Amino acid sequence: MRIVCPFCGERELGEFTYLGDAKPLRPAAGTSEDDVFDYVYLRDNVAGAMSEHWYHGGGCRAWLKITRNTLTHEISSVEPAAGVGARQVAK
Amino acid sequence: MADFPWLSRSPLEHALVVGAHGARDVAPGISLTEVRNFDLIQVMARRGKGAELANAAKARFGMAAPDLPKAVSASDVTLIWSGPDQFLVLSKGGKHTIDILSQAFSQSASLSDQSHARALISVSGAKARAMLAKLSSLDLHPAAFKNGAAAATSIDHTSVNLWRGNDRPDGQPVFNLLVFTSFAESLWRTMLDSAAEYGVDIGYSGELA
Repeated sequence: MRIVCPFCGERELGEFTYLGDAKPLRPAAGTSEDDVFDYVYLRDNVAGAMSEHWYHGGGCRAWLKITRNTLTHEISSVEPAAGVGARQVAK
Repeated sequence: MADFPWLSRSPLEHALVVGAHGARDVAPGISLTEVRNFDLIQVMARRGKGAELANAAKARFGMAAPDLPKAVSASDVTLIWSGPDQFLVLSKGGKHTIDILSQAFSQSASLSDQSHARALISVSGAKARAMLAKLSSLDLHPAAFKNGAAAATSIDHTSVNLWRGNDRPDGQPVFNLLVFTSFAESLWRTMLDSAAEYGVDIGYSGELA
């Protein structure tokens, strides 16, 4: 499997580390315990396109948000994760 | 009280043996040269200050810092892309030390002195690319990796900053590698093994290529 890093170009899988599901969003402060439990522990077991966080630690050290098909490993989109690149934050 | 001498020493002081290595019945296909005594500063834009850093870099170095995987050189400095909104400043002779640069970038970037944290290895020669091909998955063909191309990548599971410098006077390509000092000896031995079949000329230099 190869991943096309938006900063470095196409690189081998060994340069990347998998974090996991990119869907869960931190609930607002004061939200219910069930929502927090869901955010911390519960994950969908997706068979198909899944949004994931990957880390290009063996390269530019940027966090990436990748859409990968868990059945075929086909990667349909790669973009910088929120906060990557000071210039992007400024936009 | 004991007197502690603080001497600057190369991380390759023990591993590097000047002279010929590997195949002897051929003209050396590879030169492996460690470059010693350089100044190296990591510059990273602060949050939301990418454009400001770009302006400050241009004012300081008289050229734009690379915002793509490239290395750009002026007479006394090389700027090497290392990731989004960050680059390395490589120089010699105290012209771009952290004290000087922290003033130039005080409003826009965070700096970290890497002068004694990295080893700089220059790989050149007719077989340099063949040797690196055993260790790196990058396409280093001249059509894909031109002079001035740079990459943050992993070689032998070790993070390196790799860039192609100006060709040698004899036209052979030059690849420069920055590696963490604690991994330098391991990577050095790996490269020696990979290069042995081509014949290696080993040396060190105080001059940047």
